[in-house]
Amino acid sequence: MRLSPVLASLASVFRIPLRPTQSLGQPLPRSFSSTPSMAKKQAAPKDKKITMIRYFLWHPLTPRPLRFSRNRYLRHWTIHRAWQLYTSQQRRKGELELQRQWQAMSAACEELRTGAGDGGRLFRLSMNKKGVFRDMFPIEYGRLQTETPSKEGWNHAWKRIE
Amino acid sequence: MAHCERASKPLLKCIRTSYVRGLAGVQLPANRGFQSSAVARDEAQGETASQPFYRAPDPALVSSPRLEKKLLKQGIAPIGSRRRRVALQGSDNIPFEQLPYQCFQEARQILQADREEKLQEIQSVREKIARVQAVPTENVREELAKKSKLGALEQHLQHLKILADINDPLVKRKFEDGQGDMTKPVYRFLAKRKWEEYRRKILVQRITQMKVIPDVLAHCEPVVDTKLYFGRRVVQPGDFVTSRISATAPKLDIQMFEREEKLVTIAVVDPDVPNVETDSFDYRVHYLAVNVPISILNTKVDLAKLSPEAQVILPWLAPVAQKGSPYHRLSVFILDQKDSQPLNVADLKAQETNRDNTQLRTLQARYHLKPIGAHLFRTQWDETTAEVMEEIGFSDANVELRRKRVEPLPYKRRNPASFR
Repeated sequence: MRLSPVLASLASVFRIPLRPTQSLGQPLPRSFSSTPSMAKKQAAPKDKKITMIRYFLWHPLTPRPLRFSRNRYLRHWTIHRAWQLYTSQQRRKGELELQRQWQAMSAACEELRTGAGDGGRLFRLSMNKKGVFRDMFPIEYGRLQTETPSKEGWNHAWKRIE
Repeated sequence: MAHCERASKPLLKCIRTSYVRGLAGVQLPANRGFQSSAVARDEAQGETASQPFYRAPDPALVSSPRLEKKLLKQGIAPIGSRRRRVALQGSDNIPFEQLPYQCFQEARQILQADREEKLQEIQSVREKIARVQAVPTENVREELAKKSKLGALEQHLQHLKILADINDPLVKRKFEDGQGDMTKPVYRFLAKRKWEEYRRKILVQRITQMKVIPDVLAHCEPVVDTKLYFGRRVVQPGDFVTSRISATAPKLDIQMFEREEKLVTIAVVDPDVPNVETDSFDYRVHYLAVNVPISILNTKVDLAKLSPEAQVILPWLAPVAQKGSPYHRLSVFILDQKDSQPLNVADLKAQETNRDNTQLRTLQARYHLKPIGAHLFRTQWDETTAEVMEEIGFSDANVELRRKRVEPLPYKRRNPASFR
């Protein structure tokens, strides 16, 4: 059985010994059957993907499916529902907070436009986008924004490639 | 493993013999805390000590064959397996919602807080509905606006009622046990979802693939769950039913999911009656009944037991298929009467006397009916058909239909003249 490199690496990860391939050069042991070997049924070629799926699905290292008693399943379900509810509440809260911030910003702009008493001059000046991102680029946009800092922290030894 | 069993055997024996203790655990007060189990047990033991267990064995707890027999003689079957009952004797028997698992209890707290919130919301929506209703309207436009607003609020209220209970594990358990109370919105919602997930799909597939839908009626979107029984046997949509079994009228179980009372018309139509003269197929109405009341709790309809004066227009005619004819599709339709108003039975009886060549489409248009449910079974020639034909006095009982031989076209003939 020749495996593709991906499957071979997978097999090595799961510590599956690859079967030694039978070399065609060696003669097969002769059987006592008088049936001509041509009449033997040829095994249909099996799909390698299916074989591998089955292999990994039923491998002892594959974790077993969750099988619970009824009460335990119901407890599991309850906890799952509560977690779903909790996350949805968190999401809703975040959305509302964003909405509140956006509205506060737009209200402040409106106040600047109408309440500053300069005919909206300050507002117009602040909304002016001329020269933005032309001369310099904000350093935060230099890399992809992430939620948390990297695991290694700041790499002080880094130098720009000349 | 064996050692372990051997070691625990005396222990088990001890538990088994002293199940008065376990019995006490069953009769807990509802508001018991987790730690007070020993106290509660002692109290209960004092109460039950007056009557020994063997006098009045509990069907949920008996495990000795002698007591089980005693109970069976009284006509009470023990509950669950003996293994389960033995396990229950030794258990603390804490109610499910009080099980002392930390994560589970935390989860329940979150769910209960959400439920409280939903209940408050329901209360506020109710108040709002009352406020909107109290506002007087002057013209048609305001009336319409009020109506649509009330409709939207009502829908929102129903949705909230479902959301308040949908996360309750006890509701889920009750529904799975089939003990759900269909008057409550959450059980109706669960039942409808379950029906739509599988059984409705099967039904719609059968009635469309077997072409009942364009043949008998133009459209049908089933909204009620319909089950069909001959005797006690459930018939799946599209099953073949032997003529002997279908000689008696079936029973229907019509489960609605909306909380309202409805008057429906039930019609059983066969669109496959062979007509030799015209070389095609005719319709025959096998059953027609009107003004059948159904509701969420009143679901059973026995077609044989409907009142012959006030409801049945055409009584049950046993479906038979002549020998050699293709199978007959017997389609059952539940049609909603307009505004749930009763139809005039005397008029219908005078008009609808002819079973043959009455199309359901005509009836639908004439009486403003709307199909809300459907079912289907099939019948074909079998060994019991001849007897049933004799019983109902079928005229062409001894006729066997044969397919007409179609002469192949000249270029499709095996050996045409031009080849010789």
